[in-house]
Amino acid sequence: MINIYLNGLPVQVEEGSTILEAANFYGFPIPTLCHMEGLSPYGACRLCVVEIGEEPNSRLVSSCTYIVQEGLRVRTASSRVLKARKMILELLLATCPQSKIIQDLASAHHVTQQRFRQEYEDCILCGLCVRMCEEQMMAKAIGFSGRGETRAIGVPFDIKSDICRQCGGCIYVCPACQLRCTYITPEKAICGGCANLAPPCVESHAFDDMMCYMEPCVACEITKLDLINGGK
Amino acid sequence: MPQFNSVDEFVLYCHRVQSDTKIKYEKPTLVICAGTGGQASGANDVIRVIKNYILSHSLQERIDIRITGCQGFCEMDPFIVVEPGNHLYPKLKMTDIPRVIEAALQGYVDEELIYKEPHRHKCYHSQNDIPFFKKQNRIILGVNHNLDPIRIINYIEIGGYSALSTILSKPDPDWIINEITKSGLRGRGGAGFLTGKKWELARKNSLKRKQSFIVCNADEGDPGAYMDRSLLEGNPHGIIEGMLIAGIAIGATKGLIYVRSEYPLAIKHTLIALRQASDFGLLGKNILNTGIDFDIEIVRGAGAFVCGEETALIKSVEGYRGEPRQRPPYPIEKGINGYPTCINNVETLANVPIIINMGAKEYAKIGVPGNTGTKIFSLVGKIRNTGLVEVPLGTKIHEVVYDIGGGSPTKAKIKAVQTGGPSGGCIPASMFDLPIDYESLTKAGSIMGSGGMIVMDENTCMVDVAKYFMRFLKEESCGKCFTCRKGTQRMYEILDDISKGNAPLSHLDLLEELALVVRDTSMCGLGQSAANPVLSTLKYFRKEYERHIIDKKCDAYVCSNLVGAPCQSACPLGTEAWRYIAHISRGEYEEAYIAIREANPFPSVCARVCDHPCEKRCRSGTSGGDPIAIRALKRFITDRIDPMVYKPKREYLINRSERIAIIGSGPAGLSAAHYLSLKGYNITIFEAEPQYGGMLSCVIPSYRLPREVIMREIASILDENITIKCNAALGRDFSIDDLFDKGYNAVLVAIGAHQSKPLLIENENIEGVFPSIVFLKEFNMNGRYLAKGKVGVIGGGNSAIDAARVAMRQKDVEEVTILYRRTREEMPAFEEEIEAAIQEGIKIQTLITPTRILSEAGHIKALECTKNELGDIDSSGRRRPVPIKGSEFTIDLDTLIVAISEDSGKDVISAVHACGIDTTNWNTVQVDERTMETSRKGVFAAGDVTTGPNTVVDAIAAGKRAALMIDRYLRDIPLNQPVEKKLPEIYIEPVQIQLENNRRIETLRAPAEWRKRNFAEVEVALSVEEATKEALRCMRCDLEFTKNREKINAQEKEVVVYD
Repeated sequence: MINIYLNGLPVQVEEGSTILEAANFYGFPIPTLCHMEGLSPYGACRLCVVEIGEEPNSRLVSSCTYIVQEGLRVRTASSRVLKARKMILELLLATCPQSKIIQDLASAHHVTQQRFRQEYEDCILCGLCVRMCEEQMMAKAIGFSGRGETRAIGVPFDIKSDICRQCGGCIYVCPACQLRCTYITPEKAICGGCANLAPPCVESHAFDDMMCYMEPCVACEITKLDLINGGK
Repeated sequence: MPQFNSVDEFVLYCHRVQSDTKIKYEKPTLVICAGTGGQASGANDVIRVIKNYILSHSLQERIDIRITGCQGFCEMDPFIVVEPGNHLYPKLKMTDIPRVIEAALQGYVDEELIYKEPHRHKCYHSQNDIPFFKKQNRIILGVNHNLDPIRIINYIEIGGYSALSTILSKPDPDWIINEITKSGLRGRGGAGFLTGKKWELARKNSLKRKQSFIVCNADEGDPGAYMDRSLLEGNPHGIIEGMLIAGIAIGATKGLIYVRSEYPLAIKHTLIALRQASDFGLLGKNILNTGIDFDIEIVRGAGAFVCGEETALIKSVEGYRGEPRQRPPYPIEKGINGYPTCINNVETLANVPIIINMGAKEYAKIGVPGNTGTKIFSLVGKIRNTGLVEVPLGTKIHEVVYDIGGGSPTKAKIKAVQTGGPSGGCIPASMFDLPIDYESLTKAGSIMGSGGMIVMDENTCMVDVAKYFMRFLKEESCGKCFTCRKGTQRMYEILDDISKGNAPLSHLDLLEELALVVRDTSMCGLGQSAANPVLSTLKYFRKEYERHIIDKKCDAYVCSNLVGAPCQSACPLGTEAWRYIAHISRGEYEEAYIAIREANPFPSVCARVCDHPCEKRCRSGTSGGDPIAIRALKRFITDRIDPMVYKPKREYLINRSERIAIIGSGPAGLSAAHYLSLKGYNITIFEAEPQYGGMLSCVIPSYRLPREVIMREIASILDENITIKCNAALGRDFSIDDLFDKGYNAVLVAIGAHQSKPLLIENENIEGVFPSIVFLKEFNMNGRYLAKGKVGVIGGGNSAIDAARVAMRQKDVEEVTILYRRTREEMPAFEEEIEAAIQEGIKIQTLITPTRILSEAGHIKALECTKNELGDIDSSGRRRPVPIKGSEFTIDLDTLIVAISEDSGKDVISAVHACGIDTTNWNTVQVDERTMETSRKGVFAAGDVTTGPNTVVDAIAAGKRAALMIDRYLRDIPLNQPVEKKLPEIYIEPVQIQLENNRRIETLRAPAEWRKRNFAEVEVALSVEEATKEALRCMRCDLEFTKNREKINAQEKEVVVYD
């Protein structure tokens, strides 16, 4: 067992566990996006950052990948951490506002607006689908390609995959996928299955007590647009 | 290939080679720098010509050539150094080469071709004396001069592989690590981690595992940095030796050189060197029978900057995507394929053999404690001597920039230095006495990095610099971390918006916030340091950002969406010079006049005395040709067209009740009065002198600005709303409080700078000594000739030239001499004025400071002066004049005019201050730059009284702006309103014509002998033919914006904007 300090509290943690696991065990909430039980940690979304060490040499690290060490001092909600989380959520909203998971995270951290130019992308490159395909479904049909702005997830050389079994695991784990499936173009779809799903929020007229987290909710706006433009 | 069965045999061989060489060095040798830079400048042709010459003249026995790698003096490429004597012949043309060869053979120096300091014309016979080399300590780079990189024999000749031999004869890894630690060597790749410590930890891990690696990181990704390239190209054996020693130290048997594919010459030379070292038995299994194995392989990068990062490099070597991973575990614990890997920079390894040979203690003497040794920097940008420089750590920045680099190659002042590449930051010129060491640079907000040093001057836009680096980083980011990928993209987006004038002020804070988060949350060094260019430019150059956002101006004229047509952007009034020039080229003179007059109420005045900032920025000039003679073309129009052609728009139906008092009837005051009158206000101007016009009519001589011209122009703007009261002086006749008591609702102080500054030397108040303003006013207004006999004028600005030329025209004057304390190039007066003065026979003596006035019977008799020499750079960026001791001399004078500078005068400024208005210690009134407000409500100030002596066009612009602000004030509207971008809008069809030549028209002056005896206007106007030809030279920078205007206007109507 390793001794560490979680938010000032001296605790004992199993050797080889990550800060995230330790914090979850002791009930300190840390938001995550690209982390999933059963998949290896990746550290792409940076939402799970925590502050380790002592001032002035403290730094932020992703808690999902950092293995605990003896005597480690961790703070899961210092001001630096909170500022970072808010900005990351703003950036996420600016990229992928239609994802319910991102909307939920944003409202939980009191982020209700973003100050950047609005984009509507359907992938935040969290890598969950890649890891799902490789580690759980043992297929390794999709992966990352490109760098920086051109980074994307897809099949090698964009050639239709022989290995993909159409299991739908990638769609299942995708945080961005939750609400956008009606808009995905069949050509870009990895298996096209999500084109048949109808997310509930879009049919808000069927629900009386719809709780919209963002006022107005971007998903509604996009739907209205589509209806006006006759669906694109 | 010699075979060595033991270390001793090898050592014996080396000694023999070295003693043989001593005999060889009697022949003169031509040393040619043929690194990548050298070859790009033509070194290959030089080599061909030399070989040709030697063969055709059968000189093989009498002269040697040595082709080396990069030596670092890249600005002078292609050059030849002749040994013995180290004579450096720079920037050679092919036809010069035979002369160099002959000079080498016969043992003399070709004075015409030898290296000279550009502005001193001083010849330097020996390379070691050249200032560029003198302050360097080239323990690493200097070796490149002495060897041909693809001949291992050369390396051995100069003592190469002796460190390795010493170690191989008694391999003691602990001793090696101890030496390196004692030397204080720190990683030269950028982080500055103690190399000895890294090796110690690596060795500990290496002993536990069965394999470990030494990696030489030659993926030099920083744009503009090429130190490592030069080391690999110029002395690959030095790196090989370093790696061997490192391998023995940590117990590794495999070495890898990770070099970027963009360095083909470095790869080629390294491959050759590896083969040669291998043939000599220095690499491979059982090296020289010692039982030690070590082999080196080259791995080529594939064009990713991120692969310079340790963990990404390891991934790349393993064959995966170059993506960094979290540390710990560090590479020395778990690296390539999970084995301990010690990654060192090229320059770090190059230091290793030197430390072993020199001894750690000697090495530690170089530099400063904690930062020992030297560092190689690539000094590039706006600097005279671009190239590679090697200086001991702790050297001050200004020593590198000015003493070694030679300062700015143009008149532009150096503004900042960028260190550390895209991960680094800018250090402003005010901090140039910072020592160059790891801690100081980090504290200042930059980093040492791999050694890039980019010099920037006032024509570099810092917003553009941040944008450039951000674009680089967003393209090179591996993209794994969301914050790094999206953060760099969004930072680039904001910077792009700022550079186009589309960002609100709140985005500056957003930029800073985002930058800090990117730095905090990124996993690897690329993201963590991505914020540096933005944060450091924001810290030191925030004003530039604000200028872009608030005023929509790029003062370096770089951001093209803000500059539009440079002539229009450079004019303080925003005059659309391109527009009237275009009309002139089409013969549309009235339209041209209207274009001028729309912006400027004093076109005839400016046509004669403006210092034309538009011409300085004219693209025709800045792109290597001659700027358009814009002022002369303006004069052409204003001479021809009656001002009545233009009817200024009245913006009101009924007069407004408010009354405004303007103190001062110079260009600022009159301009403000005109624009306020157009808005319907009632204005009274109070003028201290008996006549109105300010400097224009009271001081500027009539041979520059004829009386009728200025009076006619003023008359055209005076109307029923404006009343001028002359002989009413602020302080003497009334105060600002009085004005408010009398019922004026707003006051504009525009009294100008009419008081000459005193010299503050003995006897300044005796007869025959005049302040220049008094001298000029007495003549202009009262017609009195105050100058007689031998006249001296002290000063180098426009009032000095005016005083000198007026004195020359006065009856009893024999000769006129201008005395200036700096050099001719530094005189602030208009170039044209100085030229005209010299034509009229006025003498100019430079580097002279007056010390005492000698008098006789209360009248000046002579002036005692000292000579100056130029010393160190002072706060204005110019070299300070320093008196030379013992150089005193006297000049006989009958009249002395003091024209060193002007200000508004202590008395008047005190009167202003007494009414509750903040003033400064240098006798100006304090105003908010943008709103022209003083510290007292309702009181504004404009013109020279706020800035000190300035140009006419700036005063007119200030008056125009003050009018706008006073109007807003009186209508209770906030003074600070969003500014619109001023881009060309009106489309004027260009004239299609073939030009025979593109030389600028010469503006004629009246013959000097004739004009210097009268006050007739000196400058002759252009003829129709000349004007049309000059106007046709215009490159029409406006068409870029206006040609598509109609298309854009149509498109904008279509787009529906959703929020």
